[in-house]
Amino acid sequence: MSETKHNNGTSSPRGGGHGFGGGHANLPGSKPRNFWRTTGRLFKYMRRYYIGLAVVVVFAVTSQIFQIRTPKILGEATTEIFKGVMRGTAEQKAGMTVSRYPIDFDKIKHIILIVILMYLASALFSFIQQFVMTRISQRTVYFLRRDLKRKMKHLPINYYDTHENGDIMSRAINDMDNIANTLQQNITQVITSTVMFIGTLWMMLTISWKLTLIALAIIPLSLIVMGIVAPRSQKFFAAQQKSLGLLNNKVEETYGGHIETKSFNHEAKDLTVFKAENDRLFSASWKAQMISGFIMPLMTFVNNLGYIVVAIVGGTAVAHGTIALGDIQAFLQYTQQFSQPISQLANLANTIQQTIASAERIFEILDEPDMVDTQVEIPDVPNDPRKIAMEHVQFGYDGSEVLLTDYNLDVHPGQMIAIVGPTGAGKTTIINLLERFYDIKAGSIKLEGRDTRNMSREALRAHFAMVLQDTWLFTGTIYDNLKYGREEATHDEIIAAAKAAHVDEFVRQLPDGYDTVLNEEASNISQGQRQLLTIARAFVADPDILILDEATSSVDTRTELQIQHAMNQLLKGRTSFVVAHRLSTIQDADNIIVMNHGSIIETGTHEELLAKNGFYADLYNSQFSGSLAV
Amino acid sequence: MWKLIKKRVSFWAVLLATVFMIIQVIANLSLPKLTADIVNKGITNGDVALIQRIGIQMLGISLISIIAAVGNVFLASRISQGLGRDLRNEIFTKVTNYSNDEFDRLGTSSLITRTTNDVVQVQNVMMMMLRMMIMAPITLIGASFLAYQRDHQLTQIFIYVIPVLLIVIGGLMYFAVPLFKRMQKLTDRLNLVFREGLTGVRVIRAFRRDDFEQKRFDLANTDFTNNALKVFSIMAGMFPLMTLIMSGTNIGITWMGANLIANQATETGNMIAFMTYAMQILFSFMMLSFVFVFLPRAQAAADRINEVLNLNTKIKDPKAPKSFAKTQAALQFDHVDYRYRKAEELALADINVAVHAGQTLAIIGGTGSGKSSFVNLIPRFYDVEKGRVLVNGLDVRDVTKADLRDQVSLVPQKALLFKGNLRENMQYGNAAATDEAIWHALDIAQASDFVKETGKGLDMTVEQGGNNFSGGQKQRLAIARALVKDASIYVFDDSFSALDFKTDAQLREALTNDPQMKNKVIVIVGQRVSTVASADEILVLDNGRMAGYGTHEELKTNSPVYQDILASQIREGAAVDE
Repeated sequence: MSETKHNNGTSSPRGGGHGFGGGHANLPGSKPRNFWRTTGRLFKYMRRYYIGLAVVVVFAVTSQIFQIRTPKILGEATTEIFKGVMRGTAEQKAGMTVSRYPIDFDKIKHIILIVILMYLASALFSFIQQFVMTRISQRTVYFLRRDLKRKMKHLPINYYDTHENGDIMSRAINDMDNIANTLQQNITQVITSTVMFIGTLWMMLTISWKLTLIALAIIPLSLIVMGIVAPRSQKFFAAQQKSLGLLNNKVEETYGGHIETKSFNHEAKDLTVFKAENDRLFSASWKAQMISGFIMPLMTFVNNLGYIVVAIVGGTAVAHGTIALGDIQAFLQYTQQFSQPISQLANLANTIQQTIASAERIFEILDEPDMVDTQVEIPDVPNDPRKIAMEHVQFGYDGSEVLLTDYNLDVHPGQMIAIVGPTGAGKTTIINLLERFYDIKAGSIKLEGRDTRNMSREALRAHFAMVLQDTWLFTGTIYDNLKYGREEATHDEIIAAAKAAHVDEFVRQLPDGYDTVLNEEASNISQGQRQLLTIARAFVADPDILILDEATSSVDTRTELQIQHAMNQLLKGRTSFVVAHRLSTIQDADNIIVMNHGSIIETGTHEELLAKNGFYADLYNSQFSGSLAV
Repeated sequence: MWKLIKKRVSFWAVLLATVFMIIQVIANLSLPKLTADIVNKGITNGDVALIQRIGIQMLGISLISIIAAVGNVFLASRISQGLGRDLRNEIFTKVTNYSNDEFDRLGTSSLITRTTNDVVQVQNVMMMMLRMMIMAPITLIGASFLAYQRDHQLTQIFIYVIPVLLIVIGGLMYFAVPLFKRMQKLTDRLNLVFREGLTGVRVIRAFRRDDFEQKRFDLANTDFTNNALKVFSIMAGMFPLMTLIMSGTNIGITWMGANLIANQATETGNMIAFMTYAMQILFSFMMLSFVFVFLPRAQAAADRINEVLNLNTKIKDPKAPKSFAKTQAALQFDHVDYRYRKAEELALADINVAVHAGQTLAIIGGTGSGKSSFVNLIPRFYDVEKGRVLVNGLDVRDVTKADLRDQVSLVPQKALLFKGNLRENMQYGNAAATDEAIWHALDIAQASDFVKETGKGLDMTVEQGGNNFSGGQKQRLAIARALVKDASIYVFDDSFSALDFKTDAQLREALTNDPQMKNKVIVIVGQRVSTVASADEILVLDNGRMAGYGTHEELKTNSPVYQDILASQIREGAAVDE
């Protein structure tokens, strides 16, 4: 499944998240281990933008202050109107005929002009603030992503072998997304909410401290409501998320295994399991939706409560003439605004915690130790006739048993070394050591007389090319994939390599030829053709040492012959290590490495090993007997 | 979308939810009216008692509003999530009954998305419809009515405001939507390049292309960031613009209101109430326009779901099925033609083979020669175009699919195990199998050694897809699973390819020597001559046609295709013919 299919946009309250697919890592309530340290580190990433951040803070604060001030000023206009009306009615009561109430329009014009300017300024500041923050957040995440990708270059292969791709992907995508969103929206929200809270409070106080006290009474009330509702909603969202994940797995498994499902008559049983999980999902999800749906009306109710009390008390005060009508009008607006920053800040606390937890997971990768370049005090052997020499090699993967204790092997230029063993014998270990994906624990591996640890990995790998069964190609054109073998290769060299590897024939039949873009699974060409491409890529690399993994299956006979032919061409005149499945390869080999359970059991030529009558002889004879039954 | 909902959602529940919503909206809308009354009647006349009376009314209405809201949210949650559950059940039932034809047609991964993501989309929109989409028009109508009633002259303000609002929203959408779509593509690209860096790490390092990968990623990262900058810059303008429109409306109302009040055409309280209504009207407009953004996406999801629900499998059970009782194991292809849906050429042409209990049939041929098509016809994953497939003497179309598949035990080309423990996996085709029977099958499949090595035996856990086993181990476990099932015909579809020569040979020997297999039919599909050579009958397929049929000795002399295959493999296995 692909991690890219997470849904965008429709986020639900408090990071509950609808949407399948995002089941990993970001469960609501995941808490960072060291909040402040990680936050500090994240801010360090934004150090290039301290000026921008200052601009954001200043503009967010001013824009918000204008936004808060304006209702009061516009309220003055209402007061002015009301004054005119009062004067007018008073005159009417006094028996005068009033065709038009004496409202001071000049003053109102003046007020409106100020309000328009303030609103415009507020909008402009708010835009600038958002605009700058967008740049800060997107660029920061750009650098974070770049650093993560750079880190991937320096991590030892061991890291890749011991960590699941899915987990790394989830950090690179979901966690990165979390950070981007929070930086984009939530930081300014923290500022504006805080300003709004303080500002609203201040404005209310300037109108009437008594009314403010009444309005403040709703804070504990709304906190209680949030305290009761939010954890329940989170609980059900977590349950919903879990059920969704399980259901998703069940669907993937059943559909992916539909051949098995059908041929073993398993449909009814699968449906029963699916329905049970679906029911569990339903009971969690409708409750989650319902409870989160309650929050809004509940908060509105609490808010209305404050509003009504303020209206009653304030109305009475206006009636007694202790407060201006415009002030009450403004105050009522402030009351409505008041609960907004409170619930927003409560939400933000949660989101920010999750984001810092995300950042922590990314920093965790960035903090992994890099590959170490260990120089060893093993002198070079001048004019060593051997291409590769393994001397007293000791090796075992970290944390598992020792696989090689004292292994010795001399490989002379042009020799072919076959690696054989039963399925799952760990034949990749040799490749890992030759290419220095892993370093040996003791002894020495020498290339042309020099210990491979005393050369840079780059320099060492320049001597090698690999053709593996896992035919990894990247999403790009066929031409670029061939060029992958050696960047400086000329066009003619690439075409020559393609011809030698039987690639040219089928590529010319593709509508876009060498410009055909291989898709992600490279499913627009066959498995056998992919194998040919990897061979051609190795041709382009033109190495002195080859590492080959013979294909065993899923290729038709014609392509198989082509692959074999291409491989033989490639082997010509080069030193090679071949993971062998063919008898002919084994018999032609200058040396055979026999492996089982990850360690090397025997080494020698075909005849030597047969004479030994050991594991190899057994392996060879069983194959022999299989063929003799013919 | 409509069709999908109509059949599955109770009209009365939706009606009730709507009624609740209407109550909620009316309650919410009557609050500003009461506020106005407080100002107009209470404050102007200095009537404190009236103010308090209205206040209590407001409290009561608030209570009604919250009760109605709870009712609506309750129903909306049940209806929308219930719709999701029912759709998932229906789709799942439908899909598990699909034949391979339908799976090929819609694609497995697309079917998964339809069952999961698409249903969630529909369910979310249903929830939104029952809340926002009903609320917005009701509020719009109610607020407009009340606003008009308060003061029809002030309503003129909307003639100016609403077009401005629509133009602004439309303009933003016009610029933002394509950028949003592009963002999705660029996200995919970014993830793809990163993932390839993980999966290809060995190749990348071996060819020293780390810097190339860095550049490739940086390009994707830069593209993504630049697009995101554009999108969010537009969004940065949106919120202030909306606020500006609202504020502008308020200013307009104040100015117009002041003039009207001066002329005694309206009251101050009316003006204040009107402002509140105006805000609600504008909010409804915005809400509606955003709903319309979501609708097309949900519509596309609904279309994909409908496609699944409307597609019926062509492979149906007969009306009067025959029974396998008292039949002997046998397999016969009687002049069979088969063609993939919409294919021009036949995948199998005039295939004619017959084997009986105790015999082994082997099939060999290159990729695309029709081996898999042959295998898929036995458990009736597809139907023949011409001729008959006979299992135990009965045409596969004359028995129920379930009965037929009880008789056929298949090891697919790609071994797949299920999450759970090993015992559950082994009992997949035979829930009553004892541990003894399972161990026996594991022995034959050459799998008992590595199972024993773990120390957990049959209780060992199996990860999703069987990913905690190597390819060869999975293959052997899949073979054992098929052997645990008690069937008449055992089919191994290229199942020995992931095994080395030694294991392959041992397995076949154990299989053919097992006493339980004596009265069964074994079908082995293979690529290696050594795998198929010992069979009683070998079918050589070439391009869907029979290019040879007989024993190894016979084919060696009379089938050129077989001779070719043999020749190509002799070089690798020099000993084959000695």
